[in-house]
Parts: sequence; C-alpha cells; structure tokens
Amino acid sequence: MKMKRFMALAMATVMGASLLTACGGSGGTTSTTTAAATEAATTAAAETTAAASGETAAETTAAAAEKTIEPTTITFWHGMNNKQEQSLTELTEKFNAENEYGITVELVNQGSYSDLQTKLMANAAADTLPDIAQAYNNYFTDYVDKVVALDDFVANDYPDWDDILESYRTENSEYGKITGVPFNKSTYLFFYNKTMFDELGLEAPKTWDDLQHIGEVILEKKGLAAIGYDSMCDMLEAALRQHGEQYVDETGALFNTAGGLETLEFIMNMYNSGYARLVGEDNYFSDSLSNGMIGGYVGSSTGVSYISTDIEGKEFELGVCPVVGDKTNAAYNAGTNIVMFAKDENNQKAAWEYMKFMTSKESTIKWAMDTGYLPVRTSAYESDEYQQFMAGDITAQAAYEQAPYGFVSKASFTGSNEIRNVVSTTLNELITEKADAQTALDTLVAEINDVLQ
Amino acid sequence: MNRRSFKGYAYLAPVLVIMLVFTAYPLVKAIFMSFCENYSIINGSYKGINLENYKDLFDDKLFIRALGNTTLYVAFVVPLSVVISLIIANLLNSHIKFQGLFQTLYFLPYVTSVIAIGVVWRWIMNSNYGLLNYILGFFGIGPIGWLSDPKYSMTSLIIFAVWKSLAFNIMIFLAALQGISPDLYAAARVDSTPRLRVFFKITVPAMMPIIAYAFIMGIINAFKVYNEVFSLFNSKAGPVNNEAITIVYYIYDQFYNNYKYGIAAAGSVVLFLLIMLFTMIQRLPGRIKAKKEAAQK
Repeated sequence: MKMKRFMALAMATVMGASLLTACGGSGGTTSTTTAAATEAATTAAAETTAAASGETAAETTAAAAEKTIEPTTITFWHGMNNKQEQSLTELTEKFNAENEYGITVELVNQGSYSDLQTKLMANAAADTLPDIAQAYNNYFTDYVDKVVALDDFVANDYPDWDDILESYRTENSEYGKITGVPFNKSTYLFFYNKTMFDELGLEAPKTWDDLQHIGEVILEKKGLAAIGYDSMCDMLEAALRQHGEQYVDETGALFNTAGGLETLEFIMNMYNSGYARLVGEDNYFSDSLSNGMIGGYVGSSTGVSYISTDIEGKEFELGVCPVVGDKTNAAYNAGTNIVMFAKDENNQKAAWEYMKFMTSKESTIKWAMDTGYLPVRTSAYESDEYQQFMAGDITAQAAYEQAPYGFVSKASFTGSNEIRNVVSTTLNELITEKADAQTALDTLVAEINDVLQ
Repeated sequence: MNRRSFKGYAYLAPVLVIMLVFTAYPLVKAIFMSFCENYSIINGSYKGINLENYKDLFDDKLFIRALGNTTLYVAFVVPLSVVISLIIANLLNSHIKFQGLFQTLYFLPYVTSVIAIGVVWRWIMNSNYGLLNYILGFFGIGPIGWLSDPKYSMTSLIIFAVWKSLAFNIMIFLAALQGISPDLYAAARVDSTPRLRVFFKITVPAMMPIIAYAFIMGIINAFKVYNEVFSLFNSKAGPVNNEAITIVYYIYDQFYNNYKYGIAAAGSVVLFLLIMLFTMIQRLPGRIKAKKEAAQK
C-alpha cells in the first residue's frame, strides 16, 4: 500500500515535471545537436588555422591589406520557406561555388519566424548560437552582447554602406553598434479591390480624409468594411508618425499628447463607424480581399502572393498604392536582418564575406525579383534590371514610391517584443468594445507603461 | 545494500540517470528560478531571491484569467469526455455491423496531429463559411462567431477538446468492456434485466477502476492544455485579447515572447502544485475505502 501510494505520487510528480521541462525541452535537444555540430566545425577550423598559422603570422605584417580566411563552414539559421527558401538556396550555392576562400555556408531552416526566435533564445542560453542568423532586433534584446559588432567590418571592408537605405542603416545601428545587415525587407502597402473602387467612383486614397470617404461610400453602397490592418501595433505606430507624433521608447509611451488623442480619434472613428474592421478568424486580410469581403487592406508587400483575384464569380482587378500620410508620410518597414554570433575570428571573417555577398547590388536585385522582398540598396532600386522588373509589378512600384519615408520600429530595449503583443491585443479589445478615443488612449498608455515599469 | 539489490539498481541506473538529468534537475532549477527576481536565462544572473515573481504573477490579470479558463476547461472537458466516451464505447461494443471500421474512425483523432486537427476545426467553426454554422442554419440558429466572437472562445475550445480527447478514452474503455465476464451478462439476461439497469449495475461498477484512471489522467492532461488553444486559434490565445488563455499558454508566452523567465517558472510551480493537489484529492475516496476494508477485516 505504502509503495503504491509512493508510486502514484511519483507518477504525478513526473507528469508535472515533464511539464515544467516542456519549455526548455525543444531548446535542449536542438542545443545538443548543434553543440556537437559547432564543436566539430570549430575543431576542424582550429586545426586548419593551427596548421597554417606558421605562414599566416609571418605574412600578416607584410600584406596587411590582403585577407586570409581559412576554408570553413558557416551555419546560417533562417526562417524562409517555399520560393523564398529556393531563392536563398540559389544565392547561397552561388556564394559557395564562387568565393575564393573555400567558405561553405550551410543553410538551416528553423521553420517560422517564431520558431527561429525561440530556438535562438534557447541556444543563446546554452551558448550554442549559429554563426549567423536572420533576426529582428527585438529577438536579442536580452543577449545583444552575443551579437558581433560589425562596425569595424563595415568601416574597413564594405563597399558603400551609404548605398544601403537609410531606415535600414538606422535600424541596424539602434543598439549603439552595427548589429546586422538588412536582408529580407518588406513594407506595408494598401491593397484594394480596384474593380469595386472604379464602380463606386473611388480613387486610391492619398490622405486620411480620403480613407474616411472611402469607408463611408463602401459601407453605404456595399455594406462592407473598406479597410483592415494585418498588424494592429504597426498600424498604430504608423498612424502616430503620420500625424507627427512619436510612439514608444524605453521610457514608455510617448503619445499621451493632444496629437496622440487626435490620432486615436481618427482610428477609433474608423472602427466604431464600421469603415474598418478587425481581421477576426482569418489572420490575414488577403483572404477577405480575395473573397470580396473587404474593400482594401494594409498589409505586407510580400503578402501579395496570397491574394487571389480570380476566384470564380469574384474576379477583380487588384490595386496597390502607398500607405496614406496625414501631416507627414510614414510607411512601416518590416523584415529581418542577418546578424552574426560567430566567436571564432576566422568564422567571423568568413561570415562577413557571405553577408557582403548577400547585400551586394547584384544579389539584392535577384533576391527582390525572385521573392517580392525589396532591394536594400538605392543603386539596386535604380538599376535598369530592377526598373524593368518594376514596370510590370504594381506592388514593387508602390513600395518604391514610399521607400523614401519608410521607418522601422525601435526595438532595441527590453520589453519591446511584449509591447508589440500588448498593443495589438489591447487595440483589438478596445475596438471590440467600441471604446471612445480618450479611453483608448488612456488604456494603451497604461498598458505600455505597465510593461516597462 | 546486498548484492541482489545492487544488481537491481545497476539495471535501473540508465533510466535513473536520464530522469535525474531531464526531469529532476529541470524541476529543481525551475523551482529555484521562480524565486529569482529578474532572472536571465542567458547568463543566469538575477537581482535577488524573493517572492517578487509570485507577486507579479498573481497581480497579472492575464494569469488570473488563465487560472479561471483552465479550471473551466478541466471542469467541462474531463467529465463530458468520460461520459460521452463511455456511451460510445458501449455502442461500439454491442454487436453492430462494421465494428472495426467504427473503432478505427473513433481512434483517428488520437493518432492525428493536433495542429492538423486544429486547421480542420478552424474551417468547421469559421463564422462565414464554416460547416457548423451551415448545419445550425437549418435550425435557424446563428451564424455564430465561434472563433471570432470573444464570448464563444471557451465554448469552442471545450467542444474541440472534448472531441479531441474522446479517442483515447474510448480505446481504454473498449478494452475494459471486453474484460468484463460474459457470465454476468448471461445471468442478467436470464433475469431479463432492463438494459439500462445492466449498464448501471454491471458495466459501470466493473469499469470503475478504469473510469477513475480516465479521470485522473484526463485532469492532469487538461491542466496542461496548450496545443488545443494554439492550434484552434492559429497561434494566438483567442480572437481578440487572450480570451482562451490557459496556464501553460501563459507560461509559454511569458517565457518565449516576453522574456520573463522567472514569472514563467513561478507559473509552472503554481501549476505543478495545482495538479498535485487535484491528484491527491482524487485519490482520497480510494484511500478511505481501503481503510474501511482493512478495518472490517
């Protein structure tokens, strides 16, 4: 009897414990495998360096300008799938074949962005990070000291850093050091049902007033909402900037101002009047637009491939235009950067070669044309090749049009990721409750400051 | 320690080592983390050892909601699932045609990935083009925003979870049913006992141990619900603002999205204590009965 009771208790304990460990579980297994892989890679690298160190040491002083990189393998964790992964693989294979140092970049698909984020975190804790990885700035607020500062590389060995679009340079310098190079960049655009707009005598919106007018007409004539936003927190920040206000920094919410209230009056009015609606169970508005269930929506430029304009009985012509401004223009840019975690000096140099290659004019053009992401260089935008491509691609045209006033949300402080989630869910709730602007403002400010307290 | 028991422990050693490393160590570590203020998983640093995490935890209205939701979930899913599976298992056990086919069908949800099932249910429960609303439409009900209206979030989750957990219960009940001696039923037939009476006086008592087992396992599993929420609401915890958040979802969110490791650890400790408490309570009736029997002897 005693034994039985003990066994039962033990069983319950194990069950509970397996739950406690569940959080670390997936991370644990990955770290063991990667630990082994990295170890193998470093030993191999160390051996080659040791073998060659005799000659290199003598040569470094003689030819300081000449680079010496020993053949090595670089691991790159990414979250690209389908045709994006295919294009990434092509580019990487090209790099592997053509680089003069014998560097091999090994791509490791980690699933979705959120999988990538959690795996990076678990491996940061286990100190088994890959050499390079795709990452948003808010992934590594807690382990920015593990990200290699690229300032020296950029200063000494990067062709024309100023050619990279300014908002991307700002984003990658947010932490006070250069933490990455821009990679798969997208921007939020306004996608709309042009057939419906033409029928109702509407034109692509240019101001907030236009948006409101479009909302009124479509609601009256079609009984539909005219506008949706795929990302609520990004919508809020863009709207605040368009109205000349600031959003959030490490001290808290910055929009508890008269202008902030005006912005929320506009937003809440759009929703409370039925001109705009939440995405609900669809997750993205591309489905709603394809099914003729909304007039238009603001979503990522890469989401265009999910819009079907040829569903039987619901065919329509797609329109794309830049997001509208108010007092000023502001377009939200999204997409990750490539950051470096490599500790070994040789691997750092090798990884840098790859990062240079991926952000070169040639690569960024190919990448953009293959995937629908945006070029990261001004010269790439202006190249004949891309201009030609753009002529036949309305999404790329709209993205180009708003490139000068793109911005990237500040993420380099603790709590930035939590604020994204809190703002989205709080806005959802406020809209569902049809709150007034003042309540919305007060609630949002309180929730944001609560995260950062 | 004598030679024989040494040999026994030697045989046990591999599994003991694995359990120590992967179960006992993380358990102790998680309990330790829960008392560390501002614990950092990256370098193991913390501000101080105190109850700050627990204070934050119970101050967080989201955690309170998670507690409430999980309790609601356990209270509905487990009994409903046991009762329904008991009925279905009995029907499957009677001599119907295509018995094998039905058994396979009912067992399918158990071997299918929750994520895949979630995708299907998201379509079934879609407010605009869902099958469920289509059928309800014939009766003049709806359309109901199963997955879009915050009011229905928990209802939808419970319906989904009950359906999902039927398979396992049906399987163990079927096995138990087949273990009941046919003589008992034969005797009942001789007395021409009504079927309902047979069910309550023979079948249910004979299955009592396995029903109790289903309850204990069901409750432990239901407290740990996460996958069902994640898959039904497409990697969110509810349509608007975490209406269907559960304790484990909360823990995951704090750990991986908000980087609040200490609070996540405190949440797991609370959950651990809850599960232990419920398991102990459930074992009470059995223990009292055993004591009584011992006293009678």
